[in-house]
Amino acid sequence: MSEVYEFLCIRCPKGCRLRVVVDGDDIAVTGYECLEGKKYGEEEVRNPKRMVTSTVRILGAKYPRLPVRTAEPVPKDRILDVIAALRGVVVRAPVRRGQVIVENVAGTGVDVIAERDMEAVG
Amino acid sequence: MAAAVRLAEKGYDVAIIERKEELGGILDQCIHDGFGTKIFGTALSGPEFAGSFMERVEKLGISVRLNAYVKSVDAGGGIKKITTVSPEGVDVIKTKSIIYAIGCRERHQFEIKMGGTRPAGVYTAGMVQRLVNLYGILPGRNILIVGGGDVGMIVARHLHLEGAESIMVVFPEEFFAGLPRNAQQCILDFGIPYRPRTIVKEIVGRERVEGAVLVRVDERWNPIPGTEEFYPCDTVVLSVGLIPYAKKLADLGAEIDPRTRGPAVNEFFETTVSGVFAAGNLVQIFDYVDDAVESAYLAAEGVEKFLRGDAKLEKRIIVKAGENVRSLTPHRIEWEDEKPVVAFLRPALEGRAWITVSDGDGQLLKKFFRQYVRPSTLERVEIPREILQDADEVVIDVRGL
Ligand SMILES: Cc1cc2nc3c(=O)[nH]c(=O)nc-3n(C[C@H](O)[C@H](O)[C@H](O)COP(=O)(O)OP(=O)(O)OC[C@H]3O[C@@H](n4cnc5c(N)ncnc54)[C@H](O)[C@@H]3O)c2cc1C
Ligand code: SF4
Repeated sequence: MSEVYEFLCIRCPKGCRLRVVVDGDDIAVTGYECLEGKKYGEEEVRNPKRMVTSTVRILGAKYPRLPVRTAEPVPKDRILDVIAALRGVVVRAPVRRGQVIVENVAGTGVDVIAERDMEAVG
Repeated sequence: MAAAVRLAEKGYDVAIIERKEELGGILDQCIHDGFGTKIFGTALSGPEFAGSFMERVEKLGISVRLNAYVKSVDAGGGIKKITTVSPEGVDVIKTKSIIYAIGCRERHQFEIKMGGTRPAGVYTAGMVQRLVNLYGILPGRNILIVGGGDVGMIVARHLHLEGAESIMVVFPEEFFAGLPRNAQQCILDFGIPYRPRTIVKEIVGRERVEGAVLVRVDERWNPIPGTEEFYPCDTVVLSVGLIPYAKKLADLGAEIDPRTRGPAVNEFFETTVSGVFAAGNLVQIFDYVDDAVESAYLAAEGVEKFLRGDAKLEKRIIVKAGENVRSLTPHRIEWEDEKPVVAFLRPALEGRAWITVSDGDGQLLKKFFRQYVRPSTLERVEIPREILQDADEVVIDVRGL
């Protein structure tokens, strides 16, 4: 059983349309215009990862939302789990940039951290 | 902040005037990652990138005036007077030199010939980004995004992840104009629907947006009659370009370039008003914050040269954009210096190309190879000063391969 993936190469502004056929251990990339694209195609099907950025509710700060992100990229198919896990999270100001807001989010082994300082007001 | 940090590090007495209640400009609402890859070698989010500069501003003890709006500037004599308005009242600040870095504004519907009524529910992408990322408010449920550049795509992903019911992105190009990285990771990853070669002819709705009339366009972006179609939605988000906020500088008498729509500058980002510099998106729209920061560092060096009274060239060199260049800085080379001249240009064509530097007689002085250029990606080249020695004029152009 072979699987077919189609996506854009993101290694240069050209954005070649790559087509990758995975058949067991065999990975065949087509559609690239240079070898960077072939490499990218192989990496992207083996282990696609994304940084997830969102916001959580914050109390006692100047804005009601605190921007947060995963400390590391997480597997692409876990993005929606991370977003779901952040729903309902409430923190209280003050918060410091880099502070861990959710540990091991959605069991990914990756923490979610604050993107900025948020002082306590009022 | 970048310019202030650089000048403070050199020992100058610097103040930052900011109309908002905190520093950072638009970065506070750009919560996605992708900032600082050139400067820090890693992709930070907008607030993180701003935060790292705020820390330096604080450490250097730079004086910061928040909630202070620069109302007018008198740059006539040697000492320049800046009038600010803040909750504390009107204040006049005297200084020898000024760097303007007041950014850009978003184009709105009346600038892109969009017809129809003016109901509630029409936003610019920047407004939506603020609502969603700072206040957690979704502007609507069924959202039509107009424009396939980076900003439009990034806003589409935020709206999708934060719970919008339906999203449609339309744009007149054949494919997304923004970076492939954003096309893939903001749109294709989530299967967000989009329609290329499509524009909004009319927004429909009395009180609130009820939908939009979409029309297909040909390669030259001309609407194809008979292809109109009603698309129901409750919100229209416009992401149709950014324009330098150059009016303040024009009021000061600075020359404005009709292509960049920002001030005409020399290689150290000095405007045509002596001692008044400009940096960042006010000069030219920088896709990458790293390039905006570089422009600020160059402006800071320019201020130092100005204050020291460094020598200028006997005859300045005019820098012109060739026919395949949409916009270009600098506009002239004026100072004596050792370092190469950094030019930023937006190509008018797409594909493998040479970026060429020629003199006024058309003789090629230098060329730079590019695997792929396109209008939505700002190019940066370093022109060695040696090759400019006898020129009165240089032309920078892009030639397809
Ligand atoms: C949606 C979006 C996404 C982006 N994504 C990326 C990305 O992924 N990676 C990347 O590298 N770059 C990205 N950029 C580009 C980058 O953010 C900008 O190039 C950079 O932040 C511009 O900074 P600036 O200081 O020139 O302007 P601004 O950030 O706009 O700052 C201008 C400041 O001047 C103040 N001001 C204006 N008028 C006055 C006045 N009269 N008196 C006092 N103060 C005044 C404003 O309040 C503001 O704080 C993105 C930009 C946008 C809009
Ligand atoms: S395959 Fe090569 S040319 Fe094509 S987008 Fe990737 S890096 Fe660019």
